[in-house]
Amino acid sequence: MIRGTSWPNYIALLIVGTVLALFPFSIWGSAYYLRLATIMLAYMSYVMAFNIIFGHTGQLFLCTGALAASSAYLSVVMTRELGVPPWVTIPLGVLCAGVIGALFSYVSVRRGLGVIFVGMVTLVFTFVFYNLILGLRGLTHGEDGLVTRSLGLGIFENRWSSYYIFLVILLLSLLFYHFLMRSRIGLAFRALRDDELTAELAGIDVTRYKVLAAFIGSVLLGIVGSLYGYYNGFINPDVFSFVRVDVVVLVMLLFGGMATLLGPILGGAVFTAVHEVVRPLGALSLLVYGVLLVVLFLTFREGLVMALRKVAKLHIP
Amino acid sequence: MLLIDGVIYGLQLSLLALGFTLIFGLGGVLNLAHGQLAVIGGISAAVLIGQGVTPPLASLLGILVAGVFGLLVERSLLLPTYRYKGEARVLFGLLLTLGLALVIDGYVKYRFPFEALALRVPIPAITVFSITIRTSGIIAALVASLALLSLLLFLRGTTLGKAIRCIIQNEVGAELCGIDLTKIRIIIFVLGALMAGLVGITFGLFASLRPHMGFELTIFAFVVTIVGGVRSINGTIAAGILLGVVHAFSSFYIGAYLTFIIFLATAALTIVVRPSGLLGYWT
Repeated sequence: MIRGTSWPNYIALLIVGTVLALFPFSIWGSAYYLRLATIMLAYMSYVMAFNIIFGHTGQLFLCTGALAASSAYLSVVMTRELGVPPWVTIPLGVLCAGVIGALFSYVSVRRGLGVIFVGMVTLVFTFVFYNLILGLRGLTHGEDGLVTRSLGLGIFENRWSSYYIFLVILLLSLLFYHFLMRSRIGLAFRALRDDELTAELAGIDVTRYKVLAAFIGSVLLGIVGSLYGYYNGFINPDVFSFVRVDVVVLVMLLFGGMATLLGPILGGAVFTAVHEVVRPLGALSLLVYGVLLVVLFLTFREGLVMALRKVAKLHIP
Repeated sequence: MLLIDGVIYGLQLSLLALGFTLIFGLGGVLNLAHGQLAVIGGISAAVLIGQGVTPPLASLLGILVAGVFGLLVERSLLLPTYRYKGEARVLFGLLLTLGLALVIDGYVKYRFPFEALALRVPIPAITVFSITIRTSGIIAALVASLALLSLLLFLRGTTLGKAIRCIIQNEVGAELCGIDLTKIRIIIFVLGALMAGLVGITFGLFASLRPHMGFELTIFAFVVTIVGGVRSINGTIAAGILLGVVHAFSSFYIGAYLTFIIFLATAALTIVVRPSGLLGYWT
């Protein structure tokens, strides 16, 4: 595939970009739906990041929410406590998320942990992080959260500009993903995913590429997480909780299709709609998500993109 | 006083983790819904008590409900996972039981949001050597140790128990020797579910069990399993009691949040430093 033409990918990106750019006009700029769409874009970017980590190098990071939160919290707390403008603290938060992600990856590859143990260590991290936020009440205000509006980041005052900022981030990450997969790194990722041992025997530095994938994914998580924190106007542990981020991201990726370009987009769009439908159910929506996770994983393991490829006999990236 | 509280708590943890480790060792499924099974047991007992059933009978029924639920899950949801081998099976089982855990959590929180199991025994406390112990705690400890002991005897003494330990060591080898894998998997899963249900009940004896505690219990079971060494039965029991004592002391002296963090950090460190378990070499 690396030798194949790039045209299908560019066309797909163009279509996705156009549809998403015109979307706000189709809802007449309704504040409610525009907010929903903006959140959808943020989640699509989360899924994109998780796709690089899990879809390509098989590292089951069950801490996507916690990584995003680490970046958001570091930036917001520093801005509040030290009075540094967010433009300085956001990169620091992003770097922090990237380093944590890379560290997990490095340790797990070095210790030869299987997929299950990576999953569990990161899940444990999620809970530790959550408790740390609750425990450091003086800095984080625990469950009450922190108000992030009027902290000097003026770009999210207008709902239209917020939408397009997240759209630009999503498109840039898609483009980045496209070029990443075409490079030597992408080739290495693909080899890793097919068979790790063979890849290592062929002279691919498994540790380096796995850590790199984790770093790239975590950085993207950090960027989206901290911006989402500012956009949302307020952050608390619930905004980034396991159930609200990790589970949703996992379901979106599984449904859309792992290791594909359009999987995160399709999965994100479909599940935002599903979420809107089940939201009135309150606590029962968790049940619906559980059922979906089970059913999807039992019957639909390859994802929407693969299914479309088979049905339409088209090359869908 | 703290020590005794810790041991009582630790026995519950051991029991919970033992089911967890048996299911993982035998079926290769990391049951993320294990804590939820305990919640099912405890909450159904609480609902029954609310209906006017006497507490002992309700507790028994609660354990049974957890067991029956375990049977249903094993027969329906986990069957497809056994078709895979090794890593793929673990991942598959992990995601399926995560889905199951969400389903149970969602349902219980929706249907019984304020239900809580708190069994209170009439006699409040007894004093031995100037140490005051709550009777309910003693009952919880007795029940748990009885269950642990009978389980150990079952695994060591009976042919079935030997077959089970055989499978934990080598699945293919055991099958070649004519051991019926399917049957034993059912037995173990139901046994694990029953034990989880029992823990749900005994938790209600000295604390109160609430619907949202499922994930927390799963995490505790997991931590104990990891520290004790996956697939090591003695290690799991020892780790459970040890961590129970640590839990009692640290939550008394340094607070509950930090205790939880210490707990989890122990597990993470164990995985990283000694994947076979801190107490792994004892067995």
